[in-house]
Amino acid sequence: MNLLVVAMLLFSVGLYGVLTRRDLVAVLASIEVMLGSATLLLVGLGATGEMIAGTQVGGGTVEATGVMIIVLAAAEAAIGLALVVAVARRFRTTRIDELTGVKG
Amino acid sequence: MSIESVVFAILAGVALAGGIVTVFARDVTRMVIGLAAFLLSIAGFFVYWKASFLGVVQLFVYVGGVLVLFVFAIMLVHRSTEGSPYLETRHDIASITVAGGLFIMVVTALKDFVHDPVAGAMVTGTDEVAAVLLGPMLTHFEMVGVMLLAVLVAVVIIVGGEER
Repeated sequence: MNLLVVAMLLFSVGLYGVLTRRDLVAVLASIEVMLGSATLLLVGLGATGEMIAGTQVGGGTVEATGVMIIVLAAAEAAIGLALVVAVARRFRTTRIDELTGVKG
Repeated sequence: MSIESVVFAILAGVALAGGIVTVFARDVTRMVIGLAAFLLSIAGFFVYWKASFLGVVQLFVYVGGVLVLFVFAIMLVHRSTEGSPYLETRHDIASITVAGGLFIMVVTALKDFVHDPVAGAMVTGTDEVAAVLLGPMLTHFEMVGVMLLAVLVAVVIIVGGEER
């Protein structure tokens, strides 16, 4: 229960940041908070050692899945920040309310 | 109140403080420091559950890699744009309704199914993780490797392709 509340509070804070931030880098940082809280809840659920959907999930599987998520999050951050740098070079701004055009 | 619950409360407090600083800070440097505190406390949670390997991976990849990437991106971006970065917020009421509504919805839906793991609940060594990574999850492992290579090439093309 405590774990669920903490992880969901972090997720909600991150979601609020994604919705309200005006700078692209700050939006990406908020996305990292959301991803981190989701990983926290997943690993915490695995650490309870309970049956999930009728099967016993071992600690090795939980940790391996966590490693996969962390690597995917790192790849997402790399691509996202590269896109931010490209956008900043081309349009001289990273404010999302100034980046309104769709045509490239 | 046992020592384990105190440690859990401290970790949760640091994580929440870091997340809140990341989302609400007006200054870019403070935002990055908040993100660092958040990521470090997540690694602390993993070590608290004795998922030590995952904690080390979190430290290496996130605190050592992604955070440095953020600092580099901020250096590159906010030097090429004039003035100080604008981090102020907008759409406060609607956003807080969405975020708070999601929180209430998920917590009420899952509160009977999620139980708290005790400290040191996972007693898995790296040998067990390796057996899973190179056994049942070998396909995932290889695909993540290929994807990382693709990401590397994509980042070089995205960032380097603009300058001529």
